[in-house]
Amino acid sequence: MRRGSVRKLLEFLVGKRHWFLFMVLLAFSLTLIYRNNAYQRNVLFSSANVVAGRLSAVSGEVISYMHLREINKELLERNGQLESQVLDLQDQLDAFMADTVLFKGFAADSTERFPYSFVVAQVVNNSVVHLSNYITVNKGRKDGITPDMGVVSERGVVGIVSTVSDHFSVIIPLLNPKLRLSCKVLGSSYFGSLSWNGHNTRYATLEELPRHVEFQRGDTIVTSGYSAVFPAGLIVGIVEDYEKQHDDNFYALQVRLATDFQALNHVRIIKNFLQQEQLEVEKEAKKND
Amino acid sequence: MINHILRSAIYFVVFVLIQVLILNNIHFMRIATPFLYLYIILKLPVGESRSEQLFLAFLAGLLVDVFSNTPGMHAFACTLAGFWREGLIQMYMGKDLPEGIYPSYRTFGYGGFFRFVLTFVVLHHTALFLIESLTLFDPLFLAVRIFSSVLLTTLLICTVEALNLIDVQKIGE
Repeated sequence: MRRGSVRKLLEFLVGKRHWFLFMVLLAFSLTLIYRNNAYQRNVLFSSANVVAGRLSAVSGEVISYMHLREINKELLERNGQLESQVLDLQDQLDAFMADTVLFKGFAADSTERFPYSFVVAQVVNNSVVHLSNYITVNKGRKDGITPDMGVVSERGVVGIVSTVSDHFSVIIPLLNPKLRLSCKVLGSSYFGSLSWNGHNTRYATLEELPRHVEFQRGDTIVTSGYSAVFPAGLIVGIVEDYEKQHDDNFYALQVRLATDFQALNHVRIIKNFLQQEQLEVEKEAKKND
Repeated sequence: MINHILRSAIYFVVFVLIQVLILNNIHFMRIATPFLYLYIILKLPVGESRSEQLFLAFLAGLLVDVFSNTPGMHAFACTLAGFWREGLIQMYMGKDLPEGIYPSYRTFGYGGFFRFVLTFVVLHHTALFLIESLTLFDPLFLAVRIFSSVLLTTLLICTVEALNLIDVQKIGE
């Protein structure tokens, strides 16, 4: 009798085995969803893995040809800007030189190095449609990329590196609610936090900006440089509109992003070789608290 | 049997590639994205074991996930929708369908196939967009996104089904 009921139970379980499979698969995908948060993403299940990376690289290569005309135009424009800037600076320099007595003993301070350098990478996979968007580029650990490096385009800030494999890395762009970037209005020193609202790929919102900060529409928003990821003063966007936040002490600014994420081809990844040191000392300070 | 496997393999390669290389980049009016790869799951033969259906649905979702950096989201939605697939077929078509046929206009009729596709797509998209909106919840925007994407996906699947060459050859046999 008992053996019979055990058998029935077993038969029942075998008959319903798809239920168990269903539960297991659901649990597995839920684990993937929750374990793969922005900062500890699994390389195997992201487009940084070798197969997905290579495939995206091929398609990215093809697509990049279609954008050559725009890139060329952009480069020419940028070139023109830089050239006029050089002329302007040269002009100023000449004026100063003429005015001052030349000090022959001057030597540039060689002990202080600018702590940032760039790696240029090509975008191989880019999404702008989803709520949480990601960008894959063709430079990885072998090129010295590590998570938490800042990424910029020729126009402005793009995002932060999150996952790195040997030859590819995945970037969390500004178009992802997980990324909050510390920014300020150019010329003031008060900072707020920039995040994306999920609707329009051209705009983001700068929140928590104290009310007494003076600014107007058309002012430039730049990085604050408080995060060790970006140097201060990189262009993020332009103030398009603003409104008071619910508690009236802060402003929320609508910022038109400088980077056009839909036409992104090459990005520069910023290496800060003092980042490690800064993070360590900050961690130490928190620990001592 | 080999025919089944070969067919599913072709569907997997072709539609996952179409999805990740082309359709993932489409965002009609900035809100709607078609998910044509659901066609792979829809076209599994009727009467295949439920475990197999579930596993294949999960695999399709996972593949798309890997390429579009949405770990687990598509896998979750596909597993959920794949679980109800057999039930949907029985609900619309009854239990006395011959085993091993593929859902199509010919076997299900135009109305039946359309209803089947629509319900399946609604299930999948609702799960997918709900999961996605966990990072940022905005009910109206969510509803608009689900509705427009369902429309686009269903339209595309029905078009592809009408033009599907593998099925046309079947009729000629």
